Amino acid sequence: MTDPPTDALADASAHPLTEQLAAATFESASEYAAALERFLRTDERAGVYIGYRPPSLEDSSRHMAGLQALLFDTGWSRLGWPVRAGGLGGDPRFRAAMFETLWKLDIQIPEPFTTLEILVPVLLVFAPHLADELLPSLLRGDEGWAQAFSEPDAGSDLASLRTRLEPDGDGYRLTGQKVWSTYGHLAQRSVLLARSGGPGHKGLTMVLVDLDQTGVEVRPIRAEDGENHFSEIFLDDAWVPGDRIIGQLGGGWAVAMYMLQWERGAWGWLQQGRFHSRLQHALQLAPAEPSHAASLGHAYTLVAALRLHTRETVERLAREETLGPEVSIDKLLLIDAELATWNAIRDHVGPRFELDEELHWLRAEYLFSRAAPIYGGSQEIQRTLVAQRVLHMPRES
Amino acid sequence: MMDQDTLEMLRSSLRHVLTQDSGGPLAGRLHELGWDEVVADDSSTALRTMFEVKGDTLSSADALGPRLAAVLAESTGDDRLASATVALASPFGPSRWDEGTDHLVIDAMTLSAVSSATTVVVPVGAAPRLAIVVAHVGLTSTPLGGIDESFGAHRLTGDIEADAIEWIDDRLAATAWNDVVSHGRWLVACELVGIARHVIAAAAQYTGERVQYGRKIGTFQALQHRVASAHSMVIGAGHLAAEAGNAGDDWSALVAKAMAGQAAEFACTQAQQCYGAIGFTWEHEFHRYLRRTYMLDRLFGDWRSLEHEIGMRLQTTGVVPHIGSL
Repeated sequence: MTDPPTDALADASAHPLTEQLAAATFESASEYAAALERFLRTDERAGVYIGYRPPSLEDSSRHMAGLQALLFDTGWSRLGWPVRAGGLGGDPRFRAAMFETLWKLDIQIPEPFTTLEILVPVLLVFAPHLADELLPSLLRGDEGWAQAFSEPDAGSDLASLRTRLEPDGDGYRLTGQKVWSTYGHLAQRSVLLARSGGPGHKGLTMVLVDLDQTGVEVRPIRAEDGENHFSEIFLDDAWVPGDRIIGQLGGGWAVAMYMLQWERGAWGWLQQGRFHSRLQHALQLAPAEPSHAASLGHAYTLVAALRLHTRETVERLAREETLGPEVSIDKLLLIDAELATWNAIRDHVGPRFELDEELHWLRAEYLFSRAAPIYGGSQEIQRTLVAQRVLHMPRES
Repeated sequence: MMDQDTLEMLRSSLRHVLTQDSGGPLAGRLHELGWDEVVADDSSTALRTMFEVKGDTLSSADALGPRLAAVLAESTGDDRLASATVALASPFGPSRWDEGTDHLVIDAMTLSAVSSATTVVVPVGAAPRLAIVVAHVGLTSTPLGGIDESFGAHRLTGDIEADAIEWIDDRLAATAWNDVVSHGRWLVACELVGIARHVIAAAAQYTGERVQYGRKIGTFQALQHRVASAHSMVIGAGHLAAEAGNAGDDWSALVAKAMAGQAAEFACTQAQQCYGAIGFTWEHEFHRYLRRTYMLDRLFGDWRSLEHEIGMRLQTTGVVPHIGSL
């Protein structure tokens, strides 16, 4: 990594990045990463985020919102997003470099960034008018959004969902129940998949719905780690203005499939940074123990493979290639790496892992890691997709 | 960088060159192909492709031996070694210095036959000293078939007097041997990836042909999941092997070899279950890929030992490095 060619960045707090400055300053993602690292290490406002261990998810959400606003106001998080969406333009890999840098400094990624990575690219393509109107406040963290796809009777079999979208005047009404909506209780809006027509894939529509209205009730669900990771959303004639359709009416499945390449691909890159960071932290928690070396070595190997594979995915997405069913491979590599990482951390840390009060946050992350083969399309779904759509094994007729 | 068409042409030529039974030694056949220019242009891609093809075709050609010699020559600055045979540790060794007779008692392994006209470099001891033995009649080379008769390994034995031996300077030797091992790990990782890809593709194809209960067995989810899980692992191994070539460092070669060994073994396990009983026959190609997998996994460290080594290095350095950058 090389230092940026201008001193203007050294004082980015006084002079927020502008589109012109950013374009003129960073020739590569690694230059950007080096400059961001220097900013985070020297700016006094950033100090409270380094090594921060949240007592709870809600605390984390409040605390890290400050970092999201800081990164937006100074311009760092706006690089790699189009200007129309509140960004400063430039290579989308700047975003990947920002995550890398945050993990490297042991800074938790503000949770909304993960949602942004999944939802914003979709909005830019399928609902440009909404992107122009809403993305800047989303990027800055002034509001939070949540995905709402699953239902009590529609998990892996997503296309069987039943929440109804009915026309009403110049808009629509939503009625039904959503579940496993990540951070739904902390969000103001939801990107929601509903049924506007007949059964199957063709009758689905993606909408953006305000959660702070009568007719919507959001109840957090406490997960096995003790944190409110996701929510149930109850919809009773909730109002959706006519211009809040994402994509075509009846075209919801195509939008959901487009979203998957970000959900399975870009997400993997973000997570490999976390795994490197957590393994690094675990090494400081306990002395070397040869009997646990193999477990650590195994985890590291799988994480390194995930890193290189998702780097390729990030590069392909930056070139605006449309990825197909092969993004399921990203998820399969993520599952193997995530489970192995946390197994190795538990092995290495030893009995303190179960008993030390100070390691509450580490245990919580461990417990939540067990969701890796379940969320966002289960391991079984991904394997079936790879077998049938990538390897072209025969399908049952 | 090679474009896709050039790469395809290279694959096809290498497939031909590596599987030709006659036509003289590999070096000559490669020379006719214009191999030297290809390597000069993009050595990382050229060598990776060669070893992937070698794995895919189960070629018996000794492509690795000359590469190890080239690395040793470059690392030591001793051009004579470019045409030498680099011996590796054998399970029957180690080669040792006999204080009583002042002789080097050699018991090592080579990747092809050694003649009395060959210069050999023999590792001696754990952090090996490297002995050069020039064309000595006291060297005996016998085929070491073991689990893979077609691999071409030979056992090298001999009892060599002190004044017939030249030692590579110890400090130079440590670095040079490190380079040899890393280069070997990288190329063997590429070969294992080639094997694993072949094994998965062949098994997937077979499940589309074999019918039981009135359906192609590939429609059964149990088999789909076996093949898919192996595929994702091999994709990961392929990335690490490619990156190890581009980076050219010890750490990424170590990790690439660890991943490739387990991916190939895992692919074989899943494929064998797809084949059922037919995969256990001598006639079926499967066992030859399984045998080569075991042979290669053992070279320069089996994958479980390497993962242990990776973990030990993480623990002792306290640093978790990133392989590859954006």
